[in-house]
Amino acid sequence: MTKIELNGEEVNIEMTREEYEKVKELLNREPTITELGAFDVMWSEHCSYKSSRPKLKLFEDAESNYDYVLAGPGQDAGVIDIGDNYALAFRIESHNHPSAIEPYHGAATGIGGIIRDILCMGVRPIALLDPLRFGNLKDNPHSQWLFKYVVKGIADYGNCTGIPTIGGEVEFDDSFESNCLVNVACIGLGTIEDFKHAPSRAYNPGDFVILMGGSTGRDGIHGVTFASRTLTEMSEADRPAVQIGDPFTKKMIIEATIEAVKTGYVRGLKDLGGGGLTCATSELTGDGNTGAKIDLKTVFTREPGMNSYELMLSESQERMAFIVKPEGLEKVLQIFKKYEMNFAVIGRTNDSKVLEVYFGEDLVVSLPAKALSESPTFKRKEKRPSYLDNLLRQIAPEPDLGLDEILYQLIASENICSKEWVYRQYDHEVGVRSVVKCGEGDSGVLRIIGTDKFIAASVGVNSKHCYLDPYEGAKGGLVEVCGNVIANGAKPMAMVNCCNFGNPEIPESYWYFSRAVEGMNDFCRRLNIPIVGGNVSFYNEDEVTKTAIKATPMIMVVGLIEGEEKIITLPFKTAGSDIFLIGSTKKELGGSEYYSVIHNLDGGQPPKVDEAQIRANWDFIRELYKLKLVKANHDVNKGGFIITIIEMCFKNNYGADINLSHLNKENLRDDELLFSESVGRFIIETDPDNNDTIMKIAEKFRVCALKIGTVTKNTSIHINGLESGMIDLDVRKLKDSYDSTIPNLMEI
Amino acid sequence: MKTKIAVLMFPGSNCDLDTVHVLKNVMNVETDLVWHNHFKERDYDGVILPGGFAFGDYLRAGIIAAHSPAIDEARIMLKDGRPVIGICNGFQILTEAQFLPGALLQNDSLKFICKWVNLVVENNKTALSNKMKKDEVIDIPIAHGEGRFFTDNVKELEDNDQIVFRYADENGNVTDESNPNGSLGNIAGVCNLDNQNCIGLMPHPERASEAILSPKNTTHGRLFFASMIEYISRRIGSE
Repeated sequence: MTKIELNGEEVNIEMTREEYEKVKELLNREPTITELGAFDVMWSEHCSYKSSRPKLKLFEDAESNYDYVLAGPGQDAGVIDIGDNYALAFRIESHNHPSAIEPYHGAATGIGGIIRDILCMGVRPIALLDPLRFGNLKDNPHSQWLFKYVVKGIADYGNCTGIPTIGGEVEFDDSFESNCLVNVACIGLGTIEDFKHAPSRAYNPGDFVILMGGSTGRDGIHGVTFASRTLTEMSEADRPAVQIGDPFTKKMIIEATIEAVKTGYVRGLKDLGGGGLTCATSELTGDGNTGAKIDLKTVFTREPGMNSYELMLSESQERMAFIVKPEGLEKVLQIFKKYEMNFAVIGRTNDSKVLEVYFGEDLVVSLPAKALSESPTFKRKEKRPSYLDNLLRQIAPEPDLGLDEILYQLIASENICSKEWVYRQYDHEVGVRSVVKCGEGDSGVLRIIGTDKFIAASVGVNSKHCYLDPYEGAKGGLVEVCGNVIANGAKPMAMVNCCNFGNPEIPESYWYFSRAVEGMNDFCRRLNIPIVGGNVSFYNEDEVTKTAIKATPMIMVVGLIEGEEKIITLPFKTAGSDIFLIGSTKKELGGSEYYSVIHNLDGGQPPKVDEAQIRANWDFIRELYKLKLVKANHDVNKGGFIITIIEMCFKNNYGADINLSHLNKENLRDDELLFSESVGRFIIETDPDNNDTIMKIAEKFRVCALKIGTVTKNTSIHINGLESGMIDLDVRKLKDSYDSTIPNLMEI
Repeated sequence: MKTKIAVLMFPGSNCDLDTVHVLKNVMNVETDLVWHNHFKERDYDGVILPGGFAFGDYLRAGIIAAHSPAIDEARIMLKDGRPVIGICNGFQILTEAQFLPGALLQNDSLKFICKWVNLVVENNKTALSNKMKKDEVIDIPIAHGEGRFFTDNVKELEDNDQIVFRYADENGNVTDESNPNGSLGNIAGVCNLDNQNCIGLMPHPERASEAILSPKNTTHGRLFFASMIEYISRRIGSE
């Protein structure tokens, strides 16, 4: 907080004194109180990306490098052309700070915000995905409370709007205990024309500016500056800065907006999220190189007596700004009336390049339209944390427990166990597009009705890996999330990310961000995956306990499947099939579930990514799919490849005979071999007749592929070929543990 | 005369487009998506109230929609024997409007549940079940937070053959384990007394009508819509 003097009164602002001086220099005068509020919001970390922008420049050129990318970073959402005249929009963002204080409404309004971003691209939102992070649930009522109400907030809001929640990811780790992460992603589908009708810019002077949707109240004023601070004990008192959502109004906004866009009279669209009317009007005109004259007296309010400062900065939910061609005004307003939506014509655009805001007769804001969106940037210092060397050196002793007992504990661990408790609460089928549903595949697969195309979407990253090495961890996240869509038969088309980190003013925290961004950038360039959008959430750091969250560069990937026959799911399909492990297993147990659950270790050497090998593995899988050689595929993730095989047995009650005597090329200890989390591996099921063909293709693609067992009818898993002898596991018992962990912790 | 069905769109309906898709593209029957305030019964042979959260389910699920003018139009259809069908939120509306007996309370788990279940057909004479066999087992998903059927006079419903569908296991046995929401007597769908032309059910036939959407590749949802179309054509034939 900075104290300044304005018109003889002392005012507290969030921006620094230097930034305030810059404001005065820009205006050549002192700002009005409303202008000051506008700058304070628009130059906050949340709106301006002032710490991250210099680094995010790396991501900028997707639109020019890939001809199918229609909109890239910097827009409300990334948009790609998927053929057949369809455009797909998607974006992921964070709603961490509000959710840590008020989990139900924080999560719900997160969903509301991401839906509006997609709607701004002129397309219909068709799917939601939600990656989440909490402290461990066991013996922690606070984490249980956050988890329960975040999931309920997502369910109540998403279900009511009729957008299926088709996927997500949850990790539990104590670094998230007071700073939980709620990341929300949305996918939208429309025609190329729909998308072209709705640029989030006001290019043309003389168009009408319309505010539509919910009324403006005093809630959420300065919500974004709140999100640009670390959480303190005082944060409980910030509760009024968390907005309240209304999914019913949102559903009506969706229908009214889509109908309005279809008329062709809408020339610009912008949602009112962080920064409210200030952000929407300044970005529409600033980006469109126009100006506008707005009258705040026309804004419909929820409570009387709101002043211009409050009207410009309110973050009340469920509002959209439309820029409408003069000749289409009546037609568009008719549509809003049909849906019984509130609306007001609040002004018109002009060619002044100045944003003029009146409150009746009084001019309260007069700023160059671009001024608010051109905040100063900061070159932050970065420094590799000194504690890392010790952490990376950690090695686990040989376990005291038997390997079978370890597997029973791992399958029941919070990070590996079934997340059915979560996805049963989400309507994941509304829209009649969900072909691969929650729990059946590594990603959610949706059909594009009227075509033979499908999209697969997945989210995730391993925070424990990123904590030890953000560069390799971010790459590993991409391998994992792309692996998910590839396992289901898709080609990864594009990625968006949501960077969740600590305080950027602390060099160690900024280092994590910087290295993760470099990792994502290097990987995506080498593997030809366009980065079409990103969001940054800093200050996920607790001032009381002085702990930052484990670095979480959350990744979302959307892939395209051409042809129903190419869709492959996770469960084993037939007894007698062969089981292959694809990819090599190395001594990479740093940040593994095994280290964490069994040895209570955070450290060790995390997995590294070899892009050339990853590309070969992916090409190999694609070739097998082309030749229809695969019955089931599941990418290897937390807990190692035996956990993967166990999960594939569950749905159809199969077992497996596994023989590992030819697998261990690097002389790993049994526990290292079984629980390594080396990335880029898959377990596939195939007909025994295909073995020779698969081995030949593996040789051609220089991929490590090995038959390690067969699917069996009886529900037990036998593992042979280990140093320490045979392991026998009961699939039913494993399934019971897998299914009961979260219900046992949550159903009190 | 050609059959024409209306799917009502209340503010907050969200299975409206899905239902229209199945009727038009899977069942090949002429269907209009009708904004609730524009609905006129004389234009249609049958009406479906789709799933969703009409009027946000504010006050109580279905109650505001139950007092809308569209329901007065639907009441005319109810009286003259044309099919009036409520799916999920539509079922909630029809009980609130007292077209159908009983009420739908919050699930006993206190949570929203989205999953595939089995139904067993108890009454195969109605406007929504005449293409099914008695005791046939149906694959179909549910997705609701308030689907626990309750009535204080279940005996009367049984005596009048008003129970159309019950939740069951995959062999058609009505068991406690197969009851997803605590519904009294596992009741999943009921009909009116007079013509058995008004049926409400919590599960979603529109999500079970295409093999690609079904975990077991079944298309049992089509039986519901085929029954409705059959009922309409018999009714038109007898006029």
